[in-house]
Amino acid sequence: MAAAEKQAVTGAGPFNDLLTWIDQRFPLMETWRKHLTEYYAPKNFNFWYYFGSLALFVLVIQIVTGIFLTMNYKPDAAQAFASVEYIMREVPWGWWIRYMHSTGASLFFICVYLHMFRAMLYGSYRRPRELLWIFGVLIFLCLMAEAFFGYLLPWGQMSYWGAQVIVNLFDAIPVIGPDLAIWIRGDFVVSDATLNRFFAYHVIAVPLALLALVVAHLLALHEVGSSNPDGVEIKNVKDPKTGRPLDGIPFHPYYTVKDTFGVVVFLIVFSMVVFFAPDAGGYFLEHNNFIPADPLKTPAHIAPVWYFTPYYSILRATTDDFVLWVLAPGVVAFALLLIWSMKKNSTRMTVGVTAIVLLAGLLNLDAKVWGVVLMATSVMIFFFLPWLDRSPVKSIRYKGPITKTALTLFVIVFFVLGYLGTESVTEGRTLAAQIGTAVYFLFFFLMPWYSKIDKCLPEPERVTSK
Amino acid sequence: MSDQSQVNRSRRSLVIASACAGGAAAVATSVPFAASMLPSERAEALGAPVEADIGQLNPGEKMTVEWRGQPVWILHRTKEMLEEIERTDGKVADPKSERKKGELTPEYARNEYRSIKPEYLVVVGICSHLGCSPQDRLKPGPEAFESQWTGGFYCPCHGSLFDLAGRVYKNKPAPDNLKVPPYTYLSDTRILIGEDKKKA
Amino acid sequence: MKALVVLLALAAQLALAAEEPVRLDSAPIDPRDVASLQTGARSFVNYCLNCHSAGMMRYHKLLDLGLTEQQVKENLLFTTDKIGELMNVAMTRKDAKEWLGTAPPDLSVIARARGPDWLYTYMRSFYRDPESATGWNNMVFEHVAMPHVLWTLSGQQVQEERKFKNMEQAEAVGRQQKNAWKIDVLTPDQAGKDGERFILKTIRTETAGSLSQIEYDIMVRDLVNFMTWMSEPNQITRKQVGYVVMLVLLVLLVLTYLLYKEFWKDVH
Repeated sequence: MAAAEKQAVTGAGPFNDLLTWIDQRFPLMETWRKHLTEYYAPKNFNFWYYFGSLALFVLVIQIVTGIFLTMNYKPDAAQAFASVEYIMREVPWGWWIRYMHSTGASLFFICVYLHMFRAMLYGSYRRPRELLWIFGVLIFLCLMAEAFFGYLLPWGQMSYWGAQVIVNLFDAIPVIGPDLAIWIRGDFVVSDATLNRFFAYHVIAVPLALLALVVAHLLALHEVGSSNPDGVEIKNVKDPKTGRPLDGIPFHPYYTVKDTFGVVVFLIVFSMVVFFAPDAGGYFLEHNNFIPADPLKTPAHIAPVWYFTPYYSILRATTDDFVLWVLAPGVVAFALLLIWSMKKNSTRMTVGVTAIVLLAGLLNLDAKVWGVVLMATSVMIFFFLPWLDRSPVKSIRYKGPITKTALTLFVIVFFVLGYLGTESVTEGRTLAAQIGTAVYFLFFFLMPWYSKIDKCLPEPERVTSK
Repeated sequence: MSDQSQVNRSRRSLVIASACAGGAAAVATSVPFAASMLPSERAEALGAPVEADIGQLNPGEKMTVEWRGQPVWILHRTKEMLEEIERTDGKVADPKSERKKGELTPEYARNEYRSIKPEYLVVVGICSHLGCSPQDRLKPGPEAFESQWTGGFYCPCHGSLFDLAGRVYKNKPAPDNLKVPPYTYLSDTRILIGEDKKKA
Repeated sequence: MKALVVLLALAAQLALAAEEPVRLDSAPIDPRDVASLQTGARSFVNYCLNCHSAGMMRYHKLLDLGLTEQQVKENLLFTTDKIGELMNVAMTRKDAKEWLGTAPPDLSVIARARGPDWLYTYMRSFYRDPESATGWNNMVFEHVAMPHVLWTLSGQQVQEERKFKNMEQAEAVGRQQKNAWKIDVLTPDQAGKDGERFILKTIRTETAGSLSQIEYDIMVRDLVNFMTWMSEPNQITRKQVGYVVMLVLLVLLVLTYLLYKEFWKDVH
């Protein structure tokens, strides 16, 4: 009833009549206004704010190219490798579609990593954007799953042994691990059954979850509003007459034209890879993956694709010595620190007991288990960022020297771990990876303290530049 | 005021220019995607011309060869069969193969017997109605579907009839004669199906 | 900040410490050199295709190398008479395993797995080794199962070892080699009294083959050129399309930039 009483859109003419007809039955103009023309975004977005829309754009590329790839790909251990080459050689324009998909995978991660780094720079995860951030980390997890399942599909040596290694991580879980790993594979080794089910996950299960999460992420964003490089809330200062934020501008047309420009710049970089260096020196398409999967022969040097290598380094860094000399003392020190800063006796008790249980585990279970735990933690820890950061300000612009150093160190360590993960193991490299792992975790675990004591500058009332 | 309209004018032309360029680029991008759904090189290789050896084919016998995944019939017609064809001229819809000339009947087969050499009929055995493959009813004699049957082919799907030259009977669901593929004689006993003489 | 610098320095050092067992010669290939590709195709069909398949490659694709259908049929089709067929071998994998100990790998995309430099060096690095089953060994791929198929062309090579006191000297001599070379480093205990720890391994031609070394190198170059082309036959098209796309994108870049600046005039 209410819908039927809605006003006509504007003016007359057949097009507007049609709009009115739709609008009385579906909230078209309302959605358009709410999410585009009357969604007010801060006017001071900088370079870092391109990557959200770019990630969405890559998602579209991946879905479209993915649909066309499934038209010719065969999820069958006997045919998969050849069917990919068939796409590359015999399907008209198949090479282009495949290269877009393989390049898109890597660029998706680049966009998402930069998007996440933006959030860390400007405190975009802080209250009231905690849930927005959590949806984002869930998207990141889905993306990792999507990339992992997809990487098995070409059925090359790296596909095969990469999947073998990662599935065997589950083997490390006490008691249920070995059965769980068999259940995941559907066989005793990675095989045709594994390929077939990974295909199902890759083309439908994970993408559905991913899309749903993207919608949730956007809805949450439009509920709380975008953050900005100054980390101040534009909703706090509104025009008394119109009720619009003084520092906000309508997303459409201002950010749609800006992001369109961003998309073209992105497409130039994307096309340079797709047309002139599709394997990106072995980083986007690994050389060994042009050898068909051979379950009897592991290649001399296996490494995951670059976007997984930081976590892979952490996995490999976790040796018996590392558990004994770094992890165990780390747990003790961290427990003492917690007990020292907690006031309630009951929480102190809980921390103490947890630490003792952990310590017992550390000294009794294999390092293999702890490698897996550390690797999982290194990703999951991102969920807790909104509560770890206790700085009075949001943006790096007003944070103190400790936080700035910590973030710089974290970025460097992330790159170093990433680099080490692509290389084979030597003693020196393991040591470096262990130092890196320690720094990686210290960045997060000490954040509640250093972010609090850091000498911050006062936040401005309104956004600063432009 | 004039300032404002100046701004709006340049803005509008930029929007139009960008939209046109972007739209053209988007259309151009969609072409390769659409093209990827055309037959691949493998499909084309499988669809290459095929050779058939008709040396062993006795008069009155029919053989089937596969060309582009379709059955191609080669029928060695007897003298009696050829005479029957002349007699069915009145019953068939397009006795002189005049419909869709280039597509259905190559010029060299546009004659009474729809073939290069009268004895050998070469047609694609797919009904022109909805794509079923008709059955052989080569012997003349009364049939359930036609009391004065003079021999030919019967389509089980919707009852279309074709004579021994692949010509469709009048008043049947199928609109056209059976398709004669491009073919050529490599020698007296070998036929190449899928390629005309002029091309080779 | 100090920790940072240390960490960076450490990473840089690690990168340098990466060892490379055999120095690969860079293959002087050119995917646009049609004559070389055609010669390479002929060598590939004559020498490789007897045991190795290129099962993802269709003979028909060879027309892209500027050959006519007739030329391909007359000079390059041995295992089949249809130009639409894949470049397969008659031997089954099972037979191959029985006869040769291991099934020869399919070579369609081997150049993307190994790289042209590896292939170029490998084909020029066989040497006589009485201890191996085939009588041959290879500098790049030790104990390789494949015998040296081209030895009548290249002649017979043997491996030579020379000892040096330091790495620089050994490398200097190594760099003058026309073929593959590598340096084994002994621990001080293993080395003799004179302390010569660096063993430079090279190969030397003992009996000449029907081709001179230069001719043989050119032949291998052409073969590797063909194999590299075959590993991605669309690579030339890919780049050509790329230039057009880049041009269009540059136009769009200018337009969208102007559009962006035009609208943002409103924002103060």
